[in-house]
Amino acid sequence: MNTIANVLRNRSNLKLNLTQITRLSSNVSEEKIVIPKAIPRGPTDILRALESTVSRDPTATHYKYHDDPFLIPMSNMGKRTFAMAQEAGRKAAYWVREQHPDLFQHQEADPPIKPFFPKMVYSEDEVTEDTLKHVIDEVLIPDAKKIYKLMIEKGMEISKETQQALLDLLCFYNNEDTLSEEFIEERWFRNSAKEKVRKTWADGSLAEEIFISIENPDAAAYSAIIQGMAKHYQVNRAWQLFEEAQGKGLEVNTSTYNSIIRVTSFMKESYDLRWSFVNDILSLMNKAKTKPNLGTLNACLEIVSTMGQSKTAKSYALKLLKEFKSLGIEPSLASWYHVLMTYCKERGPVSTILNDILPHIENKEHTIRDIKDTFFFVTAMDICRNHLHDKDLAQRVNKLLHFGNNYNLIGDSYKESIYYRHYFIVLCETEPLDEFMENIYNKLVPHIYVPEPGVIAEVLKNIDMNSAVEYLPKIWSDMLIFDHTGRENLLNMVMNIMINHKPDESSELNDKFSKIAWGIWSKIENQNENRIQKLAFTGEMLGNIMIMVLRNNDFEKAFEVMQKLDKGMHSVVGVPKLDALSMFMDHCIKEKLPTTAIQCIQYLTDSGFPEAEDFAIRLNKSLTLDETHLGRLGKIVGEQFLQKKM
Amino acid sequence: MSLVNLKQILTKCSLQQTQRSLLHTTAICNRVQSGRYRITAKKDFPLTYEMANPPHQIAHRKSWNSWNTSNLQGGLRSSETAVEDMFIRKFMLGTWHGLFVSEIIVKRQHNMIRVAGIIRQSISPRKVYFLIGYSEELLSYWLQCPTKIELQTVADRKDVIFKYI
Repeated sequence: MNTIANVLRNRSNLKLNLTQITRLSSNVSEEKIVIPKAIPRGPTDILRALESTVSRDPTATHYKYHDDPFLIPMSNMGKRTFAMAQEAGRKAAYWVREQHPDLFQHQEADPPIKPFFPKMVYSEDEVTEDTLKHVIDEVLIPDAKKIYKLMIEKGMEISKETQQALLDLLCFYNNEDTLSEEFIEERWFRNSAKEKVRKTWADGSLAEEIFISIENPDAAAYSAIIQGMAKHYQVNRAWQLFEEAQGKGLEVNTSTYNSIIRVTSFMKESYDLRWSFVNDILSLMNKAKTKPNLGTLNACLEIVSTMGQSKTAKSYALKLLKEFKSLGIEPSLASWYHVLMTYCKERGPVSTILNDILPHIENKEHTIRDIKDTFFFVTAMDICRNHLHDKDLAQRVNKLLHFGNNYNLIGDSYKESIYYRHYFIVLCETEPLDEFMENIYNKLVPHIYVPEPGVIAEVLKNIDMNSAVEYLPKIWSDMLIFDHTGRENLLNMVMNIMINHKPDESSELNDKFSKIAWGIWSKIENQNENRIQKLAFTGEMLGNIMIMVLRNNDFEKAFEVMQKLDKGMHSVVGVPKLDALSMFMDHCIKEKLPTTAIQCIQYLTDSGFPEAEDFAIRLNKSLTLDETHLGRLGKIVGEQFLQKKM
Repeated sequence: MSLVNLKQILTKCSLQQTQRSLLHTTAICNRVQSGRYRITAKKDFPLTYEMANPPHQIAHRKSWNSWNTSNLQGGLRSSETAVEDMFIRKFMLGTWHGLFVSEIIVKRQHNMIRVAGIIRQSISPRKVYFLIGYSEELLSYWLQCPTKIELQTVADRKDVIFKYI
């Protein structure tokens, strides 16, 4: 044992000696080992880091859709329907749970999961101030109202803070129940473009009652009620209460001043008055020594953007930006949105301010700091398309959108589709068609963006201009999937492209074009009798269809078309082009069908074509006609031609 | 002691004997018939791959329908898990009426439950999505675990038939 201890000691001494020797003999100066401070990691940080490496896969649909070919949405309607249907199912389950709370009283999860707790039912005996506080925290507005009323009935004391909290809640939500945060799809698809700016404040609601019931309302109460009224456009009373508060010398908070500024346009008409009003409010703020914040900047900019196109408006905007910068308030995307609205008016001079804005915000991650931040990207892309027609700028904006988590700022589905619509069209107009199709069209369509009929029309125009007919079959199949084939103008454009750009004889495009033409034919033939907006055949359309199928040497179909022309003289408007009938005639001669040829000539004469005679002569020359045929021809065209031949 | 007591004791003994003698044994019967399907005369009874392989092929050609760790050493809630699985199966079959063409597979990972199966394409995708949302949400509330439903659709019932018997 002794020896072992000795050996161990020696060994450890040896090691120590060795390290000392190496340290002395090494040339490298002693490197201090600095242990860095531990970065506090949350429970899901590793997952977030992994997620940041995965970007959107354009070949698959959004992950909210079920991954099965039958269940993949292929059109805008489909995407919306499927997502909303799934959410409707969730709501149904939610409703079942609410209807039968006695069945869902178990609580088995360990550790406990809050959303799975059984629902609370508030009865008369059990309400206390704590339940009210709890309900206010959970944003359950109908429950809050009910509990408050119960407490008032029972004459229970409610502390000032709770009362203030309840007042805040009711003013913010205008006494209405809000959509639970769980129902994300409904929020995503809610059509926020149709928000009408009209008074929605519920007069005489519980919020006002609470406000009146407070004997000496303090600054916080005034702030809450003024902000609520201003938010829901009850402007007159908001202003009244504001003046009252000023008269009493109460210091309302910054957000109240901001909300008053925001409704300036309802109170003052002319631009000068508006600007002076804003200045008044700001000076009031100054007197009360309330610090302005980002909301103040955005509210002022919003008012400036409504001031029409004048040089003064633009100068005000710049002044505001500069002043707030000196206060240390960084403009958010909403501020830039208002600046763009001020500068880039539709009927105004072209302004390249977007070029100056982008360097400030590029290559940075933005978070939502103001509710109007989501308007920025749509507006920027709109300006790139309509105002500036600049594709580089569009690409830069797109890159910013895809930087980090900025995609969260796209807003909702409506804004997303408008954004991509503008992006598509600006690139369609400026980029060469091949690159456009390869990089943009094939990547984004159909999973990220489904183009609207107007956008498809632009693409078709582009194809027409570039004679790039090889893309036409793909566009046609996309039109079929997205259900754009009901549009007459699109069908006409497709037909014109096919007619004007005749492919070579041997190319397989002939086959595809004939299929497309036949697709149009069957679509119109077979459409539902009861449709309101029925598509009708025109003579020219039928002629074009005939040309297409004849180019592919498909005589039967052409014959069908001819029959339709002949028999449907009443329903078909107009006549086909002469080329169509000429081609048909040639094919008849090739196929040696004199009866059909004579039928064609009959149609020519009936429609009033003067070339009927030439056709008859041609027919006579190429085919040997027997007595009956000659007789009929004679009846149609007249006896002169026989003499001509002779 | 008395004659009556003696009689009672005697009858009790004879009762026990008769009770014992009510036990009947037969010869040992080695027939196994669980999970096996009888051949029909017309040979038109359809079997899926799962039905066609009898239980001794589990872990050879077949795998289990319920996957969880409750039956391992230290595994918790084995009986509750089994009962919950039965509930899930009955619930799914009832909600998706006539749509399932395969067995319903239940896999548990951490506290997530994944329910998988093959359904027919007989209802429109919109209705399928509604049922998916409803089933996921209701099962989550009932079982107090996040539930995910993973389905695969098949055009025709005949696509999952392995053989006719």
